[in-house]
This record gives sequence, C-alpha cells and structure tokens, in this order.
Amino acid sequence: MDKKLSIKPILDRILDVLAATGTLISSIAMVVLVSTFGWLVYGRYILNDTPTWVEQLALLLIITIAFMSSATGVKERTHLAVDIVPLMCSPRVKLILRLCCDFILGGFGLLMAIYANDLMQFSWYKEIPLIEIPEGVRYIPVVVSGVLITIYTTVSFISGLLTLITCQSNAQLLAADSKSKTEE
Amino acid sequence: MGLLILLGCFALLLVIGMPVAYALGIAALSSFVYEGIPLLIGFQRIVSGVSVFSLLAIPFFIFAGELMLHGGIASRLVSLASSAVGWAKGGLGQVNVFSSMLFGGISGSAVADVSALGSLLIPVMKEKGYSADYAVNVTVTSSIAGIMIPPSHNMILFVVAAGGGISVSSLFMAGLIPGILMCLCLGVAARWVAIRNNFPTEKFPGWSVVLYSAITAFPGLFTAVIIVGGALSGVFTVTESGAIGCIYAIVVCLLVYRSLTLDGFITAVKGAVRTTGMVMVLVGCASAFGYMLVLYDVPTQLTELLYKISDNPIIILLMMNVMLLVLGMIMDMGALILICTPIFLPVAISLGMDPIQFGVMLMMNLGLGLCTPPVGACLFVGCAIGGVPIQRAVRTIWPFYLAILLTLMLITFVPSVSLFLPNLLDN
Repeated sequence: MDKKLSIKPILDRILDVLAATGTLISSIAMVVLVSTFGWLVYGRYILNDTPTWVEQLALLLIITIAFMSSATGVKERTHLAVDIVPLMCSPRVKLILRLCCDFILGGFGLLMAIYANDLMQFSWYKEIPLIEIPEGVRYIPVVVSGVLITIYTTVSFISGLLTLITCQSNAQLLAADSKSKTEE
Repeated sequence: MGLLILLGCFALLLVIGMPVAYALGIAALSSFVYEGIPLLIGFQRIVSGVSVFSLLAIPFFIFAGELMLHGGIASRLVSLASSAVGWAKGGLGQVNVFSSMLFGGISGSAVADVSALGSLLIPVMKEKGYSADYAVNVTVTSSIAGIMIPPSHNMILFVVAAGGGISVSSLFMAGLIPGILMCLCLGVAARWVAIRNNFPTEKFPGWSVVLYSAITAFPGLFTAVIIVGGALSGVFTVTESGAIGCIYAIVVCLLVYRSLTLDGFITAVKGAVRTTGMVMVLVGCASAFGYMLVLYDVPTQLTELLYKISDNPIIILLMMNVMLLVLGMIMDMGALILICTPIFLPVAISLGMDPIQFGVMLMMNLGLGLCTPPVGACLFVGCAIGGVPIQRAVRTIWPFYLAILLTLMLITFVPSVSLFLPNLLDN
C-alpha cells in the first residue's frame, strides 16, 4: 500500500506531462491550421499565387489534432458517454464497469497502435503529393494516440483495481472516488 | 448474426459507460473480425474518415465559437439583445432567446451557446426575480438555434454522412428560416410563461442605447457575415470562410474590443482542440461503423420495415421523427448524425423528401434531444450553471418543448419552410 502511495504521485505527474504535451502539440497544430488557410486566401487574392500545399498539410494537421487530443480526452474523461446505467449502480458496480471500460479501451488503444504502425510502414515509401513527405507520417499521430490511450487506461485500470481490492465498503469506495476526482 | 454483433456490442458498450466514439469503433471492429475483414482495413477506415477535406471547417467553427466566448463578443451580443427586447413582458427571457439567435448564428454550437449565454444571463435572471428553472429552460431550449442558424458544424457532419452531393451553402440557407421560426415560437412560449408567473419587465433604455449596443456588437456579428457570406458568395470555400472567420474574430477581439488576453486565447485554443478531438474521432469511428451498416444493408431493411408498417408518408415521417427524438434523448448529436443519416436518408428520399429538408428535420430532432433527459448535454450544462436539479427544470420545460415540436412539424410537413431560401439561392 505504501509503495503504491509513493509511486502514484510520480506516475500522475508523468501522465499529466504526457497529456499537457499532447494538448500543446494539438494546440500548435490548430494555430498552424488557421494560419495556413489565412495564407491560402492571401496567396489567392493578394499574391495571385494559390499555395497548393495547404490542403495536404491541413489534412495532416487535422489528424494530429484529432488523435492527440482524443487521447488526452481519454485521460481527462472528456469524451461523451452515456452514463445512465453507471450512475444508477452502487459505487462497487460503478467501479467494476469503469474497469471494464478501461480494459476494453486499453485493448483498442493497443490494437490501434499496432495496426497504425503497420499502416505507417506500408505507406512510408509513398509520398504525399505536393508536400513531398512520406505518406506514413499521416499515421504517426495515430500510433502515438494508441500508445497514450493504452498507457492512460492501463494506469487507470490498475489504480481502480487496487481501490476495488483495498476498499471493503461502499463508503470507502465513495471516499476514494471523491479523492481521485479532487486530485484530477 | 454480424449485424447483431455490431449493434449488440455498441449497445453493451454504451450501457457500461464507454465513450460513444470508441463504442462505435470497437463495435465496428468486432464486426470486421466476425466477417473476416482484416482489422488493418478497419483502422484505415477510421483514419480516412477523419482525413476528409470538407470536415476541416468543423475545427474552425468550433474555434470561432471559443474565441467569441473568451474574446468579449458574446457579452456584447447580450447587451444588444438586452437593449432591443429586454423591455417586453418577461424581458430577460426574450433577451435570452434573441441572444441565442445572434450568438448561435456565429458559434454554431448548442453547448457553446448554453455555456456562454447561460453564464452571462442565468445569474442576472435569477437576481432580477425570474425563477431559476425558467432561466435554465429558456437558455437550454433556445440553444438549438446554434445548430439551426448557419454556420453549424453539425450540418457539415450531415453533408459528409450523406456521402456528398448536398451543398453546404444550401443546407446553411435551409436552416435559417426554421431557426428564426423556432426562436419566434420560443419567444412566444417565454412570454406566455412570464405572464403566467408575473415575471418582471425591464425598462426601455431608449433608442440611443439600442443604437450604441448595435454599433458595439456589429464588429462581432460581422464574424457570421464573413463565414456565411463568404461561403455563399463563392469568395471562399466553407472551410476557408471558417478559417477567415477565426482570424477576423481574433483581430476584432484584440484590436477593436481589446478584450482577448493571452490567457483567454490559450483557453480558447485548448477548448477548440478538445472539442475537435472528440468530434473528429467520433467521425472516424462512425465511418467504420457506417461501413458495416451499409455492408449489412441496414438502410434498405429499415425502409422495407417502415413500408410494412404503413405506406402513408405522413405516418412514416412521424415514425421517423419519433425514432430520431427517442435516439436523440439517449445519445450524442454528432454520433447520431453520422449513424442515422445513411440509415434514414434513403427512407426520406423514397418518400419524395428533399435531402436538404431531411437534414434540417434531423438537426431539429437531435437538437431537441440535447435538451431532454436522460442524456442532454445542453440540459446538463444549463442546470449546472443555474444550480437547478434536472428533474425540477424538466417539470416546467414543457411549453418550450411544445414550441420546438410545433416548429419541427412545420419543417417536416411544409417543405418550403426549409427549401424556400435554398431554392431562391439556386434561382
């Protein structure tokens, strides 16, 4: 138990840094996305020279934003979910359902990392037209997102499992739940 | 059996509380495995579902909404609405509806509308003697204007889910009259409730104040003109107009209003990125899910089933509305647009309904779902801001539901309500 307590803050700190890095990368991608489209319109109407690379770059950026921030969303639990049944259940059942979700989502993240890695390798020697970078680059954010989802859900699963084992009563589970929410 | 696995997995995952986006993706991949289709193709579909050029407008509209929220445009729109209609009976209720019309028309998001206007108006309404549930109800229901009045990122989702062939500009125009009509109906409902409960009336501030508020709000309102006007006139594509709208909003908030700080900008970017991530992964996973639905021929089966029940178009349309409303009550709007469009659109077309009219009907149905329990994002946000339990808000919300249902029936059975402007545009 003491070991768990001493490891947890370090682990939480590492996960927070990972999530913040994901958000930072997505935010930079968003600002670049808006700027490139501004440049596209400026080029077309002012310079009379439409930059043709914007579309392909934009598609790369949107994949980066989507997959990086959705992984962060898994950690911060900001994804939309239908919580009717878990809310009706006792704290113990609610925690078990959360563990099931973490387990399945972790598996999905792992598969996503593996298959996106395959896709990346298959398409690495093809070039994206107009921006001339490997097609495989498109799948890098997907691989990273898969790895991050697996990490976040694994940590959450282990932490939830320990809570389930150590807390005997519903009152203890409620206290542990509110404590983890406060920490978040 | 494959269809059972697809829908069964999806339902089971939803029940245990799995995020909707991943529930769609995992259910689709389970069917891929059952049908012996390589998982590599499944993940490729998810990624290619996100990598669609027309979807690029979505992050721009979301970002523009966040910039308005954190850059001072929303508060100026409320001032304009307050001076223009605050003097009517139940004045702040009318202000709320009118503000939603103005703000929703720019941000394009119902949830953004509730959080922005709710934080500004609900506390003021409570302070001035309006009941908290009235303040919440009027804020929540009028937020649907964000989906109906262009620009709306949900409409782009519909166009993508419909498989192309529908003009975004026409759909934008189609939502305008129904959106305004809905706000008028909600205004009447708000007034009726205010008279029954004897809620206070604001003093008319004078034309000079109205004019001043209009002038102050104009630069912010112009964001909508740029986004919608740019796309309609053909000067920009919808995506470009979204980006230019964002750049314009930054310039106005920085140089004209001087109310966008670095912290505000960072918060806006973070908010936009978070929502974009949620929506885009939903789109990607729904793309794989939709692929399997089409593989199992679900649209044709549903059409045949509905025709077996009745061949009367009015009954079928009513059944579709009820189904969409019930689905909207339990699931998120974006996911439902992506799932329901390929299923219900062929039914609507077989009845002779224009796809654009169907799109507007879908938006209104699912928009109402955002304001209903048990799963209503707008209702939850509104109740949280107003400090009102959901069951208390729902007890007194029915006049507003009736106003929306009336508009919904008009949209469903009077095609010109939604098709008048697009036809005018085409001519």
